[in-house]
Amino acid sequence: MKKTKWLTLALATSLTALALTGCGSDSDNNSSSDTSSTSSDTTTSTDTQSSAPVKLTAVFTKHPLTQELAKMEWLTEAAKKANVEIKWQEISADWGQKKAAMLASGDIPDIIIGPNAITDADYAQFPGLFADLTDLIAKDAPNVQAMFDAKPETKTISTQTDGKIYGLSKYQRFWPATVSRQYINQQWLDNLGLQMPTNWDELYNVLLAFKEKDANGDGDPNDEIPMDFSPVGTGGFGYFQPTVLLGSLGITLTDASGQGYFVEDGKVKNFFTDERYKTFVEFLNKCFAAGLINKEAFTQDYSKYQSVARGDGDKAKVGFSWGWEVTDRFGNQLAPQYTSMAPLKYSADDNTQLGWDYDYNSLNYGVNMVSISEKSKNKDAAMRFVNELYDPKVSMQVLFGSLGTNIKDNGDDTYAVLPPTDAAMDPGTWKWTSTWADNGPMYIADSLNLTLGTDMQSVGQQTEPLMDTINAIDKDNDVLPSMFIKYSAADNNMMALNNTNLLNLTMAKFSQWVTKGGIDKEWDSYVKNVQKTGVEQNLQIMQKYYDDYKANK
Amino acid sequence: MEMIRYRKKSANDMIFDIGVAVLSVIAFLIVAYPLYFICIASISDSTLVSTGKVLLFPRGISMFGFKEIFGDSRIWTGYRNTIVYTLLGTFVNLLFTLPAAYALSRPEFRARRFIMLAFVITMFFGGGLIPTYLLIKSLHMTNTMWVFIFPFCVNVFNLIITRTFFETSLPKELYEAASIDGCSHFTFFRTVALPLSKAVVSVIALYYLVAHWNDFFTALIYIRDNELQPLQIILRDILLSNQVFQSGAGAGGAAGGYAQKFADQVKYGVILVSTLPILIVYPFIQKYFEKGVMIGSVKG
Amino acid sequence: MSTQTKLTVPNRETSIIAKKPNIFNTFRRDYQLWIMVIPAIIVIFIFNYIPMYGIQLAFRDYDYTKGLTGGAWHGLYYFKMFIDNYLFKDLMWNTVKISLATIIIGFPAPILLALLINQIRSKRAKKTLQTTVYMPHFISIVVMVGMLNVMLSPNTGIIGNLMNRLGYGDVNLLASVNSFIPVYVLSDIWQHCGWNSIIYLAALSSVDPQLYDSSKIDGANRWQTIRHIDLPSIVPTMIILFILSMGNVLSTGFEKIFLMQNTLNLPVSEVIATYVYKIGILSNQISYSSAIGLFNTLINFFFLFATNAIAKRVSNISLW
Repeated sequence: MKKTKWLTLALATSLTALALTGCGSDSDNNSSSDTSSTSSDTTTSTDTQSSAPVKLTAVFTKHPLTQELAKMEWLTEAAKKANVEIKWQEISADWGQKKAAMLASGDIPDIIIGPNAITDADYAQFPGLFADLTDLIAKDAPNVQAMFDAKPETKTISTQTDGKIYGLSKYQRFWPATVSRQYINQQWLDNLGLQMPTNWDELYNVLLAFKEKDANGDGDPNDEIPMDFSPVGTGGFGYFQPTVLLGSLGITLTDASGQGYFVEDGKVKNFFTDERYKTFVEFLNKCFAAGLINKEAFTQDYSKYQSVARGDGDKAKVGFSWGWEVTDRFGNQLAPQYTSMAPLKYSADDNTQLGWDYDYNSLNYGVNMVSISEKSKNKDAAMRFVNELYDPKVSMQVLFGSLGTNIKDNGDDTYAVLPPTDAAMDPGTWKWTSTWADNGPMYIADSLNLTLGTDMQSVGQQTEPLMDTINAIDKDNDVLPSMFIKYSAADNNMMALNNTNLLNLTMAKFSQWVTKGGIDKEWDSYVKNVQKTGVEQNLQIMQKYYDDYKANK
Repeated sequence: MEMIRYRKKSANDMIFDIGVAVLSVIAFLIVAYPLYFICIASISDSTLVSTGKVLLFPRGISMFGFKEIFGDSRIWTGYRNTIVYTLLGTFVNLLFTLPAAYALSRPEFRARRFIMLAFVITMFFGGGLIPTYLLIKSLHMTNTMWVFIFPFCVNVFNLIITRTFFETSLPKELYEAASIDGCSHFTFFRTVALPLSKAVVSVIALYYLVAHWNDFFTALIYIRDNELQPLQIILRDILLSNQVFQSGAGAGGAAGGYAQKFADQVKYGVILVSTLPILIVYPFIQKYFEKGVMIGSVKG
Repeated sequence: MSTQTKLTVPNRETSIIAKKPNIFNTFRRDYQLWIMVIPAIIVIFIFNYIPMYGIQLAFRDYDYTKGLTGGAWHGLYYFKMFIDNYLFKDLMWNTVKISLATIIIGFPAPILLALLINQIRSKRAKKTLQTTVYMPHFISIVVMVGMLNVMLSPNTGIIGNLMNRLGYGDVNLLASVNSFIPVYVLSDIWQHCGWNSIIYLAALSSVDPQLYDSSKIDGANRWQTIRHIDLPSIVPTMIILFILSMGNVLSTGFEKIFLMQNTLNLPVSEVIATYVYKIGILSNQISYSSAIGLFNTLINFFFLFATNAIAKRVSNISLW
């Protein structure tokens, strides 16, 4: 008896399944799943502000630390002002996988918000899924228009190669020109009576002294790690890695140039086949062979890398390293021992124009922060809500949190970011916890008068020693404007494939050469192999786009 | 003569037993220490853990990790959902798998080779995520609890294991004898095959149970409603929000200082929180492995 | 019920006499078996066979506007692209090496463990060991790799230190191309051996106790009991599981390898799964990654098919 009942149930389900899947693949996706039953005609329902709020659905890809959206006062107010009621889906992990299913099935909410949540490649691959916002901006979004007028580059990066605007950009103004600051343990220098190094040779000697002498003064001359850097991934270089030393040889990295691409005198190049990269690897090998680099630099994970730098109580373990901010890198207890230092020259008599890692664009601009569904029945309402977010005073709260709890209104049109109410928390964590922070769309107008929190102030101070070098960088001819270039889908795919092959070869060689040496012998055959990965093709593609970008600028 | 042989044999047995004991103790230690390590790491200062200073006893003890985990109110909804999905899901799994495995184990069932081949093919060839998503959506199972219960409720691997067991542990003559007594397949399956196969049924039940318990991919793709999220998704959220303490520096701004010391606690704590309930299940299943329990009970 | 069986019994006899039994003429006799298997058939058909049209993606461009299967037909273009890829040989070789090592060492381990546990006389000790070895299965891969990092560290790890004391010098097991596979395989065995032994323990439990009694009377020692009673009772399960594991020669776990990867072991740790992940995440290479997936599947299936055929001939045990 029991079995037959299940049988009928199963049969019934299978028949429904057949009926449903029988009818083509995407014609049935048009049935929008959202609940807004009120408006069949958008204009009538949206133009009357007094009417019931328009119901919208939205996705926000938030930072894992970020609290529930319902608890953000500024958000509730913005929605109220736009007369919308939003059902949020808050995603803090695995967005890529969720997105794949969502987009391919056409099952998307009215609004999707998040940093590059929908990529240019997605817009190209799923035509018709997202609304062209050009007309909506003109009609419903004066704040977005204001951003475009004041900062034309924000419009450039919002516009696809076909001239349509699918995703809106952001401008957050306050961030420094680079992610990486360079730190050395000043107390160790003082203990050993050493001068701050200014070039590679001096650095080598200082590190050697750190290694051989008891720099931290605990009686054990062997527990010092002269140099450490963040784990080098198999997918390319990242921040806080020795690649910034390439600056000493005149190479300016952009966004860490993880895949090796940089620009020099208006030419796109890749440092993996550059002679200067060879010099740089040789230097690292010399350091590694002398025991100056953490033995585990290539195998430790980020957690260990951070833990090691926190030393043991007030006893520091690491001499020279890179990081975002000194307390983040070495912990509150050891931070006072360290000082941030200027970029190094290659040698005392070398006059190469120094470079560094230039990240101003990627830190202060962001692409595709907001997208609106083409199938949405309430595009105007969605756009009005988005417009609220781009009001500079709302944007400021998107970034730092609600007025009152997170930002103080001084009453004279000036504002100040408040310290965390939870004393145990640092300002960075507090920001990420209380609001959308950098993951939100925003326009922080240059005219806005806002005093930053202590964390951003100290980042600013620690960047000072780098500023001479950074100011001297020729931003027009020596910086890869990757933030402002949009590649076609086909070019993008081609480049990604080539880069995967390129990095598989180069990253393995890099760590092998640093730890075991041998670059001199293998260099020529290595360069030949690198050519085979398609890097030349990538350089051509990038050069073409770069030239177009400069011509249109 | 007899005596000597006997003594020699018992001496042999003794050596054998000692060998077994030594090997068992080694196996036990190799497995137990890392498990113990997880426990002490979940309450120790993470900085000390990752620099290798926590070996035998917890150091820098703090309950930060567990506070983070249990401070999240969603965790109880998660437990509830997961228990419901697991129990109901496993029940449906067994309902579909066991009879099919029995039928496919019968040598006289002519279609069995073809059906088995057709089943095995699905272990290899699949349509991929997108067609499956479209299918589940057209069945209106997305964002419902049924997506945990019905899709893929027959696991071919488990089916094969069960079938093999039925084939080998049910003596062939048994059904023939029973069928002469007028016993149908239904009755035979219920009254003879299942009771004789308690060991494999409990193993398969365990396999399904654990698969449901650990499953987070289904929820990841098909569930949008927070109220329906299973435990694993919630733990994953908690885990990730603490991982960023370690890797959160960089472009976003300093998110590192706070809680760096205890971030890894969450990682280890999550293991304990998510597996303790399922570990309790094992002893109940274990008792069906007692030597000869089944055969004895049937024959007796 | 009883009337039905009365009807079927003579039927079967006539059919045996009349002609060779096949699917159609045995249907009336076996209808109950059909009823038992049909729910499973339906479920598998719906959830596994219906979405299979997606396999086409490997031969087509993915074009959203034309539906999942409407893109331009590319034939074997993406397969060629993979085979012509200059990493192809390395990827294949690495993948096969890792999975063969896993099979060769990983397959017998749970069998030996089950036999060992089965020999323990004290019930309490037996249960303790059984429960303990089963637990590591539940450790997530992230934590597993995290623990490997902590314990294998040459400076501070417990295993690193041990190697140091044993005079192997300052070895970093995480850093070398030679130690990647051993570390991967051994940690895998550590984690899953206990769990995988459960099925063998279940098989061992169904041995008729009378057999043990009679072997004792015959004067067999413990080794002989293992060889002649225990082992034969788990052989069918062993063969079936071996066939199934041979169907995995080109599928290594993704996450663990990916997390264990570093630039030093990359020459041996880049496998098909991690490569697909890298090209997939960098760009929307749906068709290309489907083609690689299908290529994998075909080879896996071939190995399964071949092993199954051999097993059938040798032992008369097979999947179908």
